[in-house]
Amino acid sequence: MSRTDAEVRVGAVAYHPRIVTIWEAFLEHFDREGMPTDYILYSNYERLVEAVLAGEVEIGWNTNTAFVALEQQLGAQARILGMRDIDARFATLIVTRRGEAFGEVGELAGKRLALGSGDSGHAAILPLHYLDEQGLDAASECELVRFDTDLGKHGDTGDSELRVIRAVAEGAADAGALGEPTLAAFRAERVPAVFDLEVAWRSPTYYHCNFTALPSLDDALAQRWEGALMAMSYDDERMRQAMDLEGVKRWLRGDRTGYRSLAAAMSEG
Amino acid sequence: MSPRRLEAGELELGGGLEVLLAAALEGMPAGARVEVITPSRSTALELPSWAHASGHQAVSERAVPGGPYAVELERGPFARVLADPLPEKRPGPRLRDGELHTADLRSPAEVPAQADPAAGFTPLGALAERGAPAFRWTLNERDALWADDVSELTEQASAGQWDASRDIPWEAARGLPEFLERAVSQVMTFIAQNEYGALYVPAGFLADVNPAYPEMLQWLSSHVHDEARHVEVFTKRSLIGGQPSYALASTELSLHTLLDERDFSGAALLLNVLGEGTFLDLLRFLEHYAPDAATRAAAALAHRDEVRHVHFGISHVRRHIATDPDQTAALIGAAERRAGKLTEMSGLSPLLTEGLTVMAAGSLQPAELARGAREVRELMQTMEDNRIKRLRAAGFDQRDAQHLSDLHTPNLM
Repeated sequence: MSRTDAEVRVGAVAYHPRIVTIWEAFLEHFDREGMPTDYILYSNYERLVEAVLAGEVEIGWNTNTAFVALEQQLGAQARILGMRDIDARFATLIVTRRGEAFGEVGELAGKRLALGSGDSGHAAILPLHYLDEQGLDAASECELVRFDTDLGKHGDTGDSELRVIRAVAEGAADAGALGEPTLAAFRAERVPAVFDLEVAWRSPTYYHCNFTALPSLDDALAQRWEGALMAMSYDDERMRQAMDLEGVKRWLRGDRTGYRSLAAAMSEG
Repeated sequence: MSPRRLEAGELELGGGLEVLLAAALEGMPAGARVEVITPSRSTALELPSWAHASGHQAVSERAVPGGPYAVELERGPFARVLADPLPEKRPGPRLRDGELHTADLRSPAEVPAQADPAAGFTPLGALAERGAPAFRWTLNERDALWADDVSELTEQASAGQWDASRDIPWEAARGLPEFLERAVSQVMTFIAQNEYGALYVPAGFLADVNPAYPEMLQWLSSHVHDEARHVEVFTKRSLIGGQPSYALASTELSLHTLLDERDFSGAALLLNVLGEGTFLDLLRFLEHYAPDAATRAAAALAHRDEVRHVHFGISHVRRHIATDPDQTAALIGAAERRAGKLTEMSGLSPLLTEGLTVMAAGSLQPAELARGAREVRELMQTMEDNRIKRLRAAGFDQRDAQHLSDLHTPNLM
């Protein structure tokens, strides 16, 4: 069967060459599940959101920022067709140099706070939002040190967060925000800059990526596609490598409860 | 049921705590819980991210101001390695006076008759994880490769290594009379040229052998390494006197046909039994008539290695014929095919017989030359007699042995 006969086109952002590896493996899985799917890559989430809204793809593999932006542009609720286990319990951490952790967020006032790319939910928008909720208006009370190195990719590359932790380690910032899985990945990779950092603060959990479709997507097709996604198993040796690359061990059916904070933050912003 | 407690003490994530956690969770069933107690708020805040990245969950956190902190983790459902559980621990292989021999790693009955052509590099005793890419090995049958003493031969090969730069008294090779140096250089070049062939044949099979037969890989590697050193030592002996010599086209033709043989057992017959076997007599001759200690040492050391290679060939061919008598005809066919390509070769190159004669004579005096020529004729006879003996030892009857010996290349290898 030709890929052009696929019943569902999924749009994704090519933030790294591994996206091709991931999606080639995913397509084989969807074929095996009898749900012929194709993928189309975009260089940034703004283009992907446009593509979903224009019907160029049936489903977008969106960051939380892209999802909220899509719903804002749509002016209605979109349809969520699943998310990674890790997306359902995402958090942001703030790290400091060892021995310099703060107790209350108010202690950050007057300090230099490093943030990742400005369109990253986890490395910039949400830490400011949650600090504000806890009584610190970091935008005015801290000196923000921003690393906007992967704008359009919403922090996916991890590059801006790597710069955040280096800035803290080297003393160019006093504290820095990054996604919880990013720190775990830096630890696993033995990135030297994290050796002498400690975690001072952990945000409430929130949702991260999801597969988004327009509400007009055919119900039966949506359910078939979601069912095929849920059938992907981390114990399937054909899928483990791709799932590791995607950072997923189990797919979950999504809901919208975990996007409220970001939606609020983005409408304030 | 209350969860297990794990005291992290001063350990942090990235500083060793992850090792303790992995070991604790690995032995627990999915859904079981462990409560990690740490005095570090930073570690407590970071534990959920470690758990999620490792396929587990952080289910509760008790963050007492000032610590200690407790984070309860639940083991996830996933296996870290996609393979069956490891079998029970068992006694390791026996030692012989403290030595661990390859032959003692597994019994002959444990060598698989067939190996999976797609299998990967799975060391003996290890379990392969699923999901690895597939290989396409072509030598996947024990009986097509094996010799019963291959492990012992490998052991001998490791023990018998020598150094062509340092173990030869090179100084002794300098200053021979020109006529003698010319003879030695030509003979050394001839041998080096043939050793190339002896290297390329096992090297050509080595990367086709299924990794389920590590004994064979060790053996072939040692064979290749031995021949590389033989090329080295005989090239060096030719160069040390400063006397250039010829790489002969007739030798090249003979070796070309040797490399054409793509059946492992056919190649073992043609190279190990017939070619290297014949070289045993040649090297013994050179050791005897070497005009200097360097040439003598090179011939003696190479001879020691070739004995192993010949032994393997005889052992393999004998086993091959014994397990499948039809193989006799196939092996003779290999020798006949090769001989068919060598019809234009009339005999050993005159340059070589002259060189051997001068070396045996040690002089250009007529009486000495006559003696030298006689020694070379006797060498040829010895080679034929021993070739037949080796073929008989490899399991051929007298008639087939004579036939195979007659078919053997005039180039000796």
